[in-house]
Amino acid sequence: MALNDILKHMPSVGDMLSDYKSTEEMDFINLSQNKVLSAPPYSNPVENLAKLHENNDNIKINFDHGTTTLGFIYQGGVVLAVDSRATGGQYIGSQSVRKVVEINDLLLGTLAGGAADCTYWYRVLTSECRLYELRNKKKISLAAATKIMNNIIYSYKNSGLSMGMILAGGDMNQVSLYYLDSDGTRTMGKVFSVGSGSIFAYGVLDSGYKWELTDEQAYELGRRSIYHATHRDAYSGGTVRVYHVKKDGWNLISEEDCLDLHRRYEAEKKK
Amino acid sequence: MSIMAYNGGCVVAMKGKECVAIATDLRFGLQAQTIDTNFEKVFPVNKHMYLGLAGLQTDIITVYKRLMFRKNLYEIRENRVMQPERFAAMLSSFLYEHRFGPYFIEPVIAGLDPKTFKPFICNMDLIGCANMPDDFVVAGTCEEQLFGMCETLWRENMEPDDLFETISQAMLNAFDRDAISGWGAKVYIIEKDKVTIRKLKTRMD
Amino acid sequence: MLGINQFPEYQVPGAVQHQFNPYENNGGSIVAIAGDNFAVIGADTRLSAGYNIFTRNHSKLFQLTSSAVLASCGNWCDSDTLTSILQTRVRQYSDTHENKEISLNAIAQLLSTMMYGRRFFPYYVSNILAGIYEGKGYVYSYDPIGHCERHTYRAGGSSSALLQPILDNQIGLKNMEEKPTIPLTVDRAVKLVTDTFISAAERDIYTGDGVKISIITENGVEERQIPLRKD
Repeated sequence: MALNDILKHMPSVGDMLSDYKSTEEMDFINLSQNKVLSAPPYSNPVENLAKLHENNDNIKINFDHGTTTLGFIYQGGVVLAVDSRATGGQYIGSQSVRKVVEINDLLLGTLAGGAADCTYWYRVLTSECRLYELRNKKKISLAAATKIMNNIIYSYKNSGLSMGMILAGGDMNQVSLYYLDSDGTRTMGKVFSVGSGSIFAYGVLDSGYKWELTDEQAYELGRRSIYHATHRDAYSGGTVRVYHVKKDGWNLISEEDCLDLHRRYEAEKKK
Repeated sequence: MSIMAYNGGCVVAMKGKECVAIATDLRFGLQAQTIDTNFEKVFPVNKHMYLGLAGLQTDIITVYKRLMFRKNLYEIRENRVMQPERFAAMLSSFLYEHRFGPYFIEPVIAGLDPKTFKPFICNMDLIGCANMPDDFVVAGTCEEQLFGMCETLWRENMEPDDLFETISQAMLNAFDRDAISGWGAKVYIIEKDKVTIRKLKTRMD
Repeated sequence: MLGINQFPEYQVPGAVQHQFNPYENNGGSIVAIAGDNFAVIGADTRLSAGYNIFTRNHSKLFQLTSSAVLASCGNWCDSDTLTSILQTRVRQYSDTHENKEISLNAIAQLLSTMMYGRRFFPYYVSNILAGIYEGKGYVYSYDPIGHCERHTYRAGGSSSALLQPILDNQIGLKNMEEKPTIPLTVDRAVKLVTDTFISAAERDIYTGDGVKISIITENGVEERQIPLRKD
């Protein structure tokens, strides 16, 4: 039985992965076809990749596993708020990750789960959105963009990718909000929070959320929710970034260090 | 995740010129979730000696209580203050008694000799293998980070003020790179005639 | 994993199962600092596995262009393969672009994409790329599957946890109420890199022997070597 035959037994990953030809052709095929990744020399990467790394814990394959991101719709548009910490195990790899991806001047996406997975596929999505514009002479809608992303993610289902995304942007002359994840979920909604700190963020967010919020109240709600999540969740922290998405584009509202926010909120408590 | 890292936290101690310092973070968590930000892992043993315990919270409390019982018994029977060396030996044999079912803690002792005021620091593994270096000892979930910081910042014969600044910077910057330590810190500077306790303001994420 | 389970005809009683593990940790630490108009990148020169030292004089630095140097450590055979393919691609770029050198940020993205291409069988390496782009110094760091982030200073490899907080303190000026205003010069950056490696060599068995430092400025790349403890 040749290696070739074994690779064909890879469950449900088959289509998008390159067929095994020769090493030179197999490697870096994604430089010319960005949706195709090279196939590993073993089946079922979820289980077998983990086995390979069992005895090698010095270099962290798991980067950025812990995050708090949130997004909600209100009368004035969408607010997205994120933290900026990346952890590999309990080690804080970075306190300055940009977890909001600016896809184009109408669309924004947030990043949770595997940092490399998210950034790579957002880059592919960005190029797809631009190609759509060039082909159709109009901006892509959020519904179409999320559908493209979802189709790509779904083709890699059960291969071990880890992503949880919130996308926001103008869609048919209104603003909408989608949640996507690596299981292949794609759903539209009003309030989402993703990541290890999301349970804490939801607590604050749900208690303060209503449709009639003013812009300032909405920013503050997003900021406060992330701040409280960074306080309670060990794997969230760094700076809190707040974005506002409207029909005609998005704005970066604020970038504040958690330490400054803590001092401010503590001072407010004492009043 | 290791049971030693279930609650998070760290302790560090340093020698100075006729003084010693010991510092602790204030987090008590359950894995990723921060429960309390006022859990001190450094305890007074007697006038010139402090004990820091990093590891599993339930064992930290148990070990401290049991040690104090033994130490008090010693001081009553002998009618004199226990020296840090004696305390370390007692702790070591106490931990080794539980060789095959150990307490999940890493102790750090910092103190001055009650008569000569000679600085003393010591750390152990969870079954009581003692280590008494001339510079500094570390324990807890950000041990590696602490080693890096202390190795660079520590100098011989530091005065109390210098020692405070050094141990504070070492601990703060070390636990800022560790997800499960931090949320406040407390530093004890032990000198012959006084103990200075300072609470540090830190990042709370 | 490829094993006896895929070959049912060989599954007989008494057959001994052997496994091949393609990954090995060869240790090593790397540090890079970006300044206003320069970048400094250093790597220790020890190559080891477990308690064995293979060689004490082994460079982990790869000069890609006149203004970009890559440091790579972890699994040495992966570093070797990845960097040689990257060097080939850098060469191909200049050959197909009228001898124009590839820019630093293009290398940064290329490396990320190449590493992600092996998402399901990653290169087991920790990479830091340092260099100059349009006169300014930059440092990029990577995780093993190609997540790339720009920093002003970064430590990687086996002593990353020991070195990073020192850089946070000394260059990032974290946890300082009154921030001192010492300018970051080439000399200070080189001294910091050397000092951090001296500290790391005290406590990490995978780091030591010597440190090789590349200083990247407008005028090109200058190399220095400083000895470390050899035990």
